Amino acid sequence: MKKKLVALLMAATLVLSLAACGGKEDTTANTDTKTNTSSTTKSNETKKNDEKITLRMAWWGSQNRHDKTVAVIEMYEKSHPNVDIEYEFFSFDDYFTKLKTLVASDNVWDVFQLGGNFPDYVSKIEYLDAYVKDGTIDTSKIPDAYLNITRDTDGNLVGLSNGLNTYGIAYDVDMFKKAGVAEPTGTWTWDDYADAARKIHKATGHFGTSSFTSSEFAAGCSTYVGQQGKLGEFGFFNIGLTGMGFKDPQMLTPYIQMRADLIKEGASPDAGAEMEITNIENDFLVTGEAGMTWVAVNQFPTIYKVCADQGRTLALATLPRVTKNGNAGSHIQSSQMLCVSKDSKNKKAAAEFISWFQNDVECNKILDGERGIPINDDCRAAVSGNTKNDAEGNGKKIMFDYVTLVGTFPTPEKVNVTSPAGQDEVVDLYRGYIQKVVSGEMTASEAAKLTYEAAEKLFK
Amino acid sequence: MTDAKKNSKVNKLKYPDGKTTVKRPFGERLRRFINNDNTVGYVFAMPFILGFLGFSLIPMITSLVYSFTDMTFGAKEIHFAGLRNFIALSRDDIFAKSVWVTFKYVILSVPLKLTFALLVAFLLTRKSRMVTLYRSLYYIPSLVGGSVAVALVWKQIFARKGLFNTVWMDLFDKTVNWFGGNGKLAIFPLILMSVWQFGSSMIIFAAGLKEIPESYYEAAMIDGANGFQRFFKITLPCLSPIILYNLIMQTISAFMVFTQAQIITQGGPQNETMMYALYVYNTAIKYSKMAYACAMSWVMLVIMVIITLIIFKTSKKWVFSEADS
Repeated sequence: MKKKLVALLMAATLVLSLAACGGKEDTTANTDTKTNTSSTTKSNETKKNDEKITLRMAWWGSQNRHDKTVAVIEMYEKSHPNVDIEYEFFSFDDYFTKLKTLVASDNVWDVFQLGGNFPDYVSKIEYLDAYVKDGTIDTSKIPDAYLNITRDTDGNLVGLSNGLNTYGIAYDVDMFKKAGVAEPTGTWTWDDYADAARKIHKATGHFGTSSFTSSEFAAGCSTYVGQQGKLGEFGFFNIGLTGMGFKDPQMLTPYIQMRADLIKEGASPDAGAEMEITNIENDFLVTGEAGMTWVAVNQFPTIYKVCADQGRTLALATLPRVTKNGNAGSHIQSSQMLCVSKDSKNKKAAAEFISWFQNDVECNKILDGERGIPINDDCRAAVSGNTKNDAEGNGKKIMFDYVTLVGTFPTPEKVNVTSPAGQDEVVDLYRGYIQKVVSGEMTASEAAKLTYEAAEKLFK
Repeated sequence: MTDAKKNSKVNKLKYPDGKTTVKRPFGERLRRFINNDNTVGYVFAMPFILGFLGFSLIPMITSLVYSFTDMTFGAKEIHFAGLRNFIALSRDDIFAKSVWVTFKYVILSVPLKLTFALLVAFLLTRKSRMVTLYRSLYYIPSLVGGSVAVALVWKQIFARKGLFNTVWMDLFDKTVNWFGGNGKLAIFPLILMSVWQFGSSMIIFAAGLKEIPESYYEAAMIDGANGFQRFFKITLPCLSPIILYNLIMQTISAFMVFTQAQIITQGGPQNETMMYALYVYNTAIKYSKMAYACAMSWVMLVIMVIITLIIFKTSKKWVFSEADS
C-alpha cells in the first residue's frame, strides 16, 4: 500500500512537472512558428533579392503600442522586401530583464528602445553621429533642439527620439468646481497644489490627489530641486552625471513633508491604496476617486478618452512650482528613443530603419504620436492635423498645446534628463522614507538626508 | 557492470603465442552494453541528471562564486570582492527586515497550515462515498496555488473596497485597511493565502491516517477512551513521522515564498512583506546587484539548513516510530 502510494505521488509530480514544461514549450513553439511563417512568406516574396537582411527589434509598452508598431513594421517590410524584421515586445519590467540578459550574452537586438536610463546600457549603444554624417539617417526635418534631447553628456547621439514628452498634472475639472477650488494657473505652486488636494478631499471625500507612484522621485527630487535657485543652478544629479547636483539635502524636505501630510490627512492615497494603482489606466484620477495625478503627457489622450466615456472632463496643468516666479522645472524631453546596438551585424540597415521610423509621414500617421509627439516637423504637423473632433482627438489636442506651452518656458542651457545606473534602488528607498514619515518613524528632514546619502552612494 | 568489465579485459588479453582472443562482433558488444544494468540505470536517470546539473548544481556553484565578486546583472567584467558582499549584508536594514518578516511568515503560516490540513484530513477519513470528491475539492486551491492569477484575486479580495471589506462593512460598519497604515496587517492576507493552500499536506496526512490500524482505536474504545484521547494518544503519535515530513517540506517552501509578496504587496508597505526571496529578486533583477543577491541566497541557504537541522534534531523527542517501541 505504502509503495503504491509513493509511486502514485511520484507519478503525479512527474506529470505535473511535465505539464509545466509542456506549457512553456508550447508558447515558445508558437512564437517560433509565428516568426517562421512570417519569414517564409517574406522570403517567398523576395526570392530574387540575394541580400537578405534580418533585423531584430524590441520595445516595451501597452497593447495599443504593440499593434501600431507591428503595423508599421509590416509596412516597412513591404517597401523594403530585402529586410525582414523579427520583433519582440514586452512590458516595461520584462523588457529590461530580457535586455540585461542580452547585454550579458553580447546579443542585444539590432534596434531597441531605451529611455532616460540609457547610461546603464551605454556599452551596447552604437552612436549615430556617423550615420547622420553619411546620410543614412536623415535629420533634415528634425530641429537640432530635438536631436539634442537624445545626446549623452559628451554630446554623442545615442538614438533618435520616438517623441517629445514632458510631465504635467492631469486633473478633473468638475471635482475642482465641486470643491470650489480655482483651477490651476500656469504659475501655481506646490502649496496651491496641496491646498487644492485638501479642499477636494474635504468637499468630495475622495482623494484630492492620487499617488505619484514611481514618479514620486521625478516630482519630489528631479523637478523639485531643479525648481529652486536660479535657472539651471541645481539639479538632483549634476549635468555630467558624476555626482549630486545640489549640496543641501534639506532642499528635499518641504516636498516630503507636504506629501506625508497629505497622506496622513487622507487627501492622498496611503501605501495600501497606492498598491492598487498598477498603471495609468487604473489611477485614482481615472477611476474617479481622485482630483489630480502626475502624468507623462503622452499618456494623457488615453486617460482623457477613458474619462470622457464616463462623462468626466480632464484637463492638463503645468507642474506646480516652488515659488510663483521660480523655475518651471519642466522641460521637453525624449519619451524614449530607438537605438542601434553594437552587437548588430547590420548596423547600417538598422540605422536606415530608425531614420524611416522617425521621418516617414505615413508611418507616423499610424503610430499617431502614441510614443510622444514626433520630432520630425512634417510628421508632427501630420499627426497634430490628424486629430479628429472626438474624445481622443480632443485629448490629443490638449497634449499638443501643452507641449507647445512647455516649449516656451525658459530652460537651462543644459538639463540632465538621464538617470545614473542604480537609480531604481534610490527611488524605492525614497518612497519608503516618505511612508516612514507618514507613520512617524522619522522626520521629513531625516528622510531628506537619507535620500541624499542613498543617491550619493551611486557614485562611490 | 562486472560482465562488461570482464569482456573488455578478455578483448585485450593476448596469449603468449601472439594470438589474440576472438573479438566479439560489434553488434554483440553494443547489445551487451545497452542491456547492461548500469547503462539502463543511467539512461533512465539522465533527464534528472541533466536537469540537476544544468538547473541546480552548476547555477548554484556559479552563484557561490559570484557572491565573492562585484558582478552586476549584464556586466562584462567582474572583480573579486572578497567578503565585501557579506559584510554589506550585515549592515543592510532591508535585509535584516526581510529576514525578520520571512521568519514571521514561516512561524505563523506553517503551523496554521498543517493544523488545518490535519483537521480536514481527519474529517475526511470517514467512510463515505463522497470523500474522494471532497478531497479533490479541497485540493484545488493547491493546484492553482503558486499562480499569479490567485494572487491577483487575493489582492482584490483584501483591497480597500474588496470583497472582505464589503462584508466587514455590512457586519461591523467599518473597514480594515489591510495594506495601509503602518503595514503591520499586510502579512496576514499572505499567510491566509498560504494556509488556504493546504491541499498537498492534507493528501499526505489523509494517506497517513489510513495507515493507522483500526485495531488500535477498537482497543482504546474498549478501554473507555473518548474521541479526544483517541486523537491525541493514538492518531497524533502514529502520524508523527508524517507530521515531521510535512513540517520540513512546508517550512522550506514557506521560506521561499515569493509570488504572493511580489503580486499582492510588492514587499510594501514599509517592507513589512519584503520576503527574503522577493528581496533577492529585487536586488538581482531590479537593482542589477547580482553578486549581492547571490550572497543573500547563500545566507538564506545556510539559515534554511540550520532550521531544518534543528527540526530533525528535536524530532527524536516527539516523533514516534513503531519500530522503536
